[in-house]
Amino acid sequence: MTRDVLLQIGQVITVIALSPLLQGVILQWEERVQRAQGAGILQPYRDLWKLFHKQGVVPQTASFIYWVAPIVAFTCMLTVPILIPVLTDFPLPESDMGDILGGGLILTLGSFLITLAGLDSGSAYGGIGSSRAVMLAILAEPTLILVFVGITLLAKAMLPFVVNHLLVQQPAVYWSPAHLFLVAAFFILLLVETDRLPIHSSTHIEVYMIDEGRILEYSGPLLALLKWASMMKQFILYTVFCNVLLLPWGLSHLGTAAGALGAAAAVFGKFLIVALMVVFVETAQSRLRYYRYQEPLAASFLLAVLAIVANQLR
Amino acid sequence: MLAAQLGPLAASLFSLMAIASLLLAFVMLGSRWLTDYLIAFAVQSWLIACLSAAVGYYGHYPELYLIALLTALFRGMLLPYLILNIIKRQDVDREVHERLSPSACMVIGALLVLFAFVVSGHLGQSLGLTGTVAVLALTVMLSMKLIGFLMLVVRSEALSQILGLLVLENGIFLGSQILVPGMPLLIELVILFDLLVVVACFGVLIRYLLAHARTSSAHDLRRLVG
Repeated sequence: MTRDVLLQIGQVITVIALSPLLQGVILQWEERVQRAQGAGILQPYRDLWKLFHKQGVVPQTASFIYWVAPIVAFTCMLTVPILIPVLTDFPLPESDMGDILGGGLILTLGSFLITLAGLDSGSAYGGIGSSRAVMLAILAEPTLILVFVGITLLAKAMLPFVVNHLLVQQPAVYWSPAHLFLVAAFFILLLVETDRLPIHSSTHIEVYMIDEGRILEYSGPLLALLKWASMMKQFILYTVFCNVLLLPWGLSHLGTAAGALGAAAAVFGKFLIVALMVVFVETAQSRLRYYRYQEPLAASFLLAVLAIVANQLR
Repeated sequence: MLAAQLGPLAASLFSLMAIASLLLAFVMLGSRWLTDYLIAFAVQSWLIACLSAAVGYYGHYPELYLIALLTALFRGMLLPYLILNIIKRQDVDREVHERLSPSACMVIGALLVLFAFVVSGHLGQSLGLTGTVAVLALTVMLSMKLIGFLMLVVRSEALSQILGLLVLENGIFLGSQILVPGMPLLIELVILFDLLVVVACFGVLIRYLLAHARTSSAHDLRRLVG
């Protein structure tokens, strides 16, 4: 029991500690693909360190939401790893608090508060960023629900652990068209949710920014918390994508310390594969006009529908 | 019925090909350029040819190999070639003009697929075929027909309309290959030549429209001529 609690804490610590590394690897690889030097894979850690040692500047128009939003967003990202298989393939204490939908709800709550904070200070960029983020969320949400419906039809359950076990035990299900289409649909959602759609360029502060626009008013430790929260969100979504859908192998069965460490290493190895795909898509896909943002989402919706249709067999 | 008694490997092979051709129908629905569209159509036809060869192999219908060959030659090569020729020679616009944006079309198409899913689910239940390839083939057939109709509705150019018609026909052919594989050879041949006649007629029609009305878009044809 104590071991399980420790493992659960270990899951959360893994997400906290490794999420900046994942971000650093993706950014470094993108720089390398564009034949630039890059700042090194440890740069996000240095950024966070720097921001935590700076003084915060608060806009005069800010209300309490400005203070609450980063803390709530960070807390939400600390909660979700408890619900999903990060290191072990068996449920740990308190992981029955919510199923996949519950995890999605908490992730969206953090994003909702950041949206409110963007509107709170009344700056033009915050408003633009918030309205764009909400527009994308409105379009992404039906697809997300359909993907969950597809997963439920596939595994007859909404718990991520059940889906993981099913895919490991039955290769026929793993290679079935229903599952492959779900993977494709979720991959597009992953690009949307981690702010890597092909509609804004890789430098972040510019006219077409979406997520950066919402947090433009923040500085110092609060900005560090928000940045860390968004990196953790990316890490969590990668975890769901890898450990539940794409590569369900390589998790700890027994829950020993060595197994957990190995699982953490394996998880990061899997993420490197996904990050490679993401970097490839971001580099190979030409930038679209901003108002074509709905096309990838329509494609993702379609793939989710096809996954549900393909479930008819079986 | 063949589709109800397939092994798991054959069933997954069939379902993969059927779903892939449905995906290609969506590629056609979402593409902006006629050449992309024609490539997708050709690939879809080759997939259907593979599918009829597979049905012939698993169901022991030797004449289906001939059908597969003819499908690949006619639908996969000759029809796209003829349509490309029409585009080149008649100087028709290469961009597909639609009344709805591609993404709206795709979402409507996805809803149509869901409709087909529900309908074929009910049909399969009443026939006792739930969970077999037959139901999936029925879904793919119905949804490809509906997508073909959608293309006919949202696109006004004469050339785009024949492409919608071809998708519709491909859907029916795919469904018939899986659902009733023992059709007489003659009917299949008649269908193939029918298509050839349709494309030829449309070529003549487009030439006529361009010569007399100076447009091949149904949008601009508003005046009745006695």
